[in-house]
Amino acid sequence: MLKSDVILQRLAETWLKDYFIYAPTKSGSVLRIQEIQDFRAIDWSGSMPANSWKEIIIPARERIFDITGDKLQTTAGQQPLTLCLGVNVLDLKALMLLDLVFSNDVYYQNRRANLLIVGYSSDWPHDYQKLKVFSHNFEADVLEHVPFDVFIARIKNNKLKFYSGSEKGRKLLETNGIKDFTNIKFAGAVAESGPDKRMMGLQTKLENSLKHSLWSTLDDICLACGKCSNVCPTCFCFDFVDKIDPNDARRDRVRSSCFYNDFSKLAGGFKELATIKKKIFFWYEHKFVRIPHQYNLPGCVSCGRCSKVCPVGIDIFKNIAKLSKIK
Amino acid sequence: MINVYKPKLAVVVAVSQESIDTKLIRFRFKELKDQKKFDFLAGQFMQIGLAGYGECPISICSSPFYAAKYFELAIRDVGQLTHQLNQLQVGDEVYVRGPFGNGFDLGAIGAKNLILIGGGCGFVPLRPLIVDFMEGRLKTPKLQIFYGCQNENTLLFKQEYAKWNRQAEFGIILDLPSAKWKGEKGLVTELIKKHEINSDSAVVLVGPPIMYKFVIKELLNKKVKPENIWLSLERKMYCGHGVCQHCAIGRYYVCKDGPVFSYAQLKDIPNAI
Ligand code: SF4
Ligand code: SF4
Repeated sequence: MLKSDVILQRLAETWLKDYFIYAPTKSGSVLRIQEIQDFRAIDWSGSMPANSWKEIIIPARERIFDITGDKLQTTAGQQPLTLCLGVNVLDLKALMLLDLVFSNDVYYQNRRANLLIVGYSSDWPHDYQKLKVFSHNFEADVLEHVPFDVFIARIKNNKLKFYSGSEKGRKLLETNGIKDFTNIKFAGAVAESGPDKRMMGLQTKLENSLKHSLWSTLDDICLACGKCSNVCPTCFCFDFVDKIDPNDARRDRVRSSCFYNDFSKLAGGFKELATIKKKIFFWYEHKFVRIPHQYNLPGCVSCGRCSKVCPVGIDIFKNIAKLSKIK
Repeated sequence: MINVYKPKLAVVVAVSQESIDTKLIRFRFKELKDQKKFDFLAGQFMQIGLAGYGECPISICSSPFYAAKYFELAIRDVGQLTHQLNQLQVGDEVYVRGPFGNGFDLGAIGAKNLILIGGGCGFVPLRPLIVDFMEGRLKTPKLQIFYGCQNENTLLFKQEYAKWNRQAEFGIILDLPSAKWKGEKGLVTELIKKHEINSDSAVVLVGPPIMYKFVIKELLNKKVKPENIWLSLERKMYCGHGVCQHCAIGRYYVCKDGPVFSYAQLKDIPNAI
């Protein structure tokens, strides 16, 4: 076994004593993020897992409050100390977005406070010259703008480079005998150079593109199954679902999808997103219009999960390339 | 950290049947201090709910001037929750969150003539502006109110019409009135065609989506500027904070950037109106 792998495994082994750990693990041929019991099960390939970290960060269903008699009790979800291990850079960008979106959400924040994020990348370029440049940009352009406690990068010759991104992260490294690490100071979600120009350009193009033939094509082939939104790390929409029982009522927050039929349905029956074309356009608007407008960040982190899971082969990158060509 | 999803209790202090399917309900927060702190802008809305029945957005129809004392909602019986809300009696309690949304931009309306156009039950959020005008709290010199409704049974705020007639130019038009109806018959666009409209007026428009297209066309014909036309949109929503995504249109959220938008903001957004 490589020395770096031994170090990674040893770290995971010690952390497993103190935390619940979620990490990418192979189940059959599929790489999935799941809770691990055995540190040897962790996959360190750095490949993109099929599911996303939101399964841990925003549960599919959570209690908002209970009402018993006339007493309303909120249930701000507590979570045991949990370590997300091996979060890749694209998923850290998605986490950055979720942290912003849910910044005033006490349920999210309570849960988030008990999550430790250990980022990981394994795909640094191999030749040294490039690496120097890349490493420099990587720290200033990427690591300073995403949330993490510890980041581990596999660099040249399979060596490991450690970063800490918080006080908790520093402790996590030091108590495990790792002294050689770089402190990264968070410098805001948006890079100093300002929001990505290409992303901003795409925003205007997409906003006015409903007449583009792409949308009629997608209207024909998309099944509105919602699988894409289910795996997407930046899809976070939800419904409130109440249990209709006046003596013991409760409200749950349930993850939703804009592809679901009742997503926009009003009590009177009016439905804004009545066609598949409108639904898929709305989904792209979320990624490339609304989120950039609201946060100056892309609403898509280019993880490719949606394209992989789509039963009819709709490829978001190809579609974006088409929209980018609009004059 | 405040829990933005935790509702507060409000108590029903008065109920009146406004139309065949709508009740006007006056609420007061159960905790006096909540009521004293309460403030809102005309055009904003509350999320009102009942244990086990969820919550829904309803525009506030009383004047902000009385916010520290009470707030009023006109609730139309259209779904499971609003049906339950229509059964409320004085003393009953409901759960509320809010106020939400941006409200009407009184600064932008300024000292322009104000034209309020309402269609059907959409008329509700216009009432705070009417009350504030009648009681001398708006800068606007002249008020025109055009109200289109299906029939006599669905007209709201009937007992206030005498006053509106005295102090404003008030027109009602009914689409499918009874044989007894002596007034105008047709769609609200007819009223706009007939009345004199100053092109520098500020116009606030609330009603069903179908009404917007035709009314806006008529207003533009009369040379009203797109940036002086405001409309209030209705969408499904849960959170009220621009997170849950249900109310999104284009780059905006109806719950947070709206519900009031200028026509200039919306005219290029597909499906907005
Ligand atoms: S996974 Fe594919 S078919 Fe299903 S909703 Fe998404 S784009 Fe449409
Ligand atoms: S590539 Fe697809 S799944 Fe990944 S962030 Fe973008 S939209 Fe979501």
